[in-house]
Amino acid sequence: MSKNLTILVSDDSILARKQLKDVIQRHTPDVTFVEASNGQEAIDLFREHKPDMVFLDIVMPQKDGIEATKGIMEIDDKADIIIVSSVGTKMQLKAAIEAGARDFIQKPMNPVQVESVLESHLGGN
Amino acid sequence: MFAQFFGSYLLNHNAVSPNELTAAIAMLADTHIKLGTLAMHMGYMTAAEVDEVCFLQTREDKRFGEIALERNYLFDEQLDELLKTQIPDYLLLGQTLVDMGCLTNGDLEELMVGYQDESQLNEEAAANETTETTTKLLTNFFREAGKEISEYALMYMNLIFNNLIRFIGEDFTPLAPVPCTEYEINCCVTQHITGPLNCTSSIDMTQDVAVAFASRYAKMDFTEFDEYVEASLEDFLNLHNGLFSVNMSNTYAEELTLDPPVQETEKVLRLTDESFVIPVIYPFGTVYLLLTV
Repeated sequence: MSKNLTILVSDDSILARKQLKDVIQRHTPDVTFVEASNGQEAIDLFREHKPDMVFLDIVMPQKDGIEATKGIMEIDDKADIIIVSSVGTKMQLKAAIEAGARDFIQKPMNPVQVESVLESHLGGN
Repeated sequence: MFAQFFGSYLLNHNAVSPNELTAAIAMLADTHIKLGTLAMHMGYMTAAEVDEVCFLQTREDKRFGEIALERNYLFDEQLDELLKTQIPDYLLLGQTLVDMGCLTNGDLEELMVGYQDESQLNEEAAANETTETTTKLLTNFFREAGKEISEYALMYMNLIFNNLIRFIGEDFTPLAPVPCTEYEINCCVTQHITGPLNCTSSIDMTQDVAVAFASRYAKMDFTEFDEYVEASLEDFLNLHNGLFSVNMSNTYAEELTLDPPVQETEKVLRLTDESFVIPVIYPFGTVYLLLTV
């Protein structure tokens, strides 16, 4: 039986968070979500909830997704962080990977790609 | 994109009213191109010959091509070619306006020639849109309004019209850009881009239009203006600007920084001498694009 997962979804758009949560929930029904609407809140909620997986947008107020990735990696360098953004330039990808992100999903989000990332990151969970 | 700008051309030349155009655009999804419109567009038949064949079709149970062949208005090879031809999308809009009685075939023939001349369009370019052909179209669009815009701004506008087609729907017509230093807002979202290109873009619309816009963007059935509708507008602008920054990085190796999109709270937006607004007419209402580069 799969264990109940906690996933942190951080995006300043309530719509983007809902759409991502819907896709995740269809793939992995037993999941508890924690939601942040900016990078600093994402770091604070990561510290509090220690989620199994983190989805971060890049363009966010207070701290962007790259800064938030660095902040989360300082708390746990094994954190499983996925960047979800429309700003998919090579430089942003490089910055995200150097900061510690494990994967990148380009917006507009393709549910198949999200499911594929969930498969490869959550494996047998 | 040629269909959208053909609508703008028709309005600029007072060939149709905004209401007629909006009604025609709304009908496009259920309309198919007719052989007569295509034959006229290719220069194989005149408007009078097309009208005659259409009239004869009301008397004889024959296809358009059959009658045109019998009357020697078309040759077999021309008919074969027409049946295989890729269709420029603006033809469909013109034909719909003829079907609605807003234009005659003669008007359409004349307007198509004028539009092709003004846009420097040839058959192949009209049927196979490329960034190069749409950039030329946009350059003319701004030039007609007395505005020269930079290469980056053209790339920006090219992408935003493509993104409107892709994420909201192709049933729109942009009106001519208007310089604007002060703009009274309804429901407005703004995003700043900084870096080698400093640009501020906003989209504005009434709450009712926002509900319809958001329903199309999010593929959800919104019925009232709420936080999800607001977020849809922000998402659209952020997505567009994000994709633009990717294009700038890939094409010019220029890295841009995007601020998060924000809802405007003031009643009037203060702009600069470089700012302009483009009203974009959809069947559900008008969306205003504001850009300062």
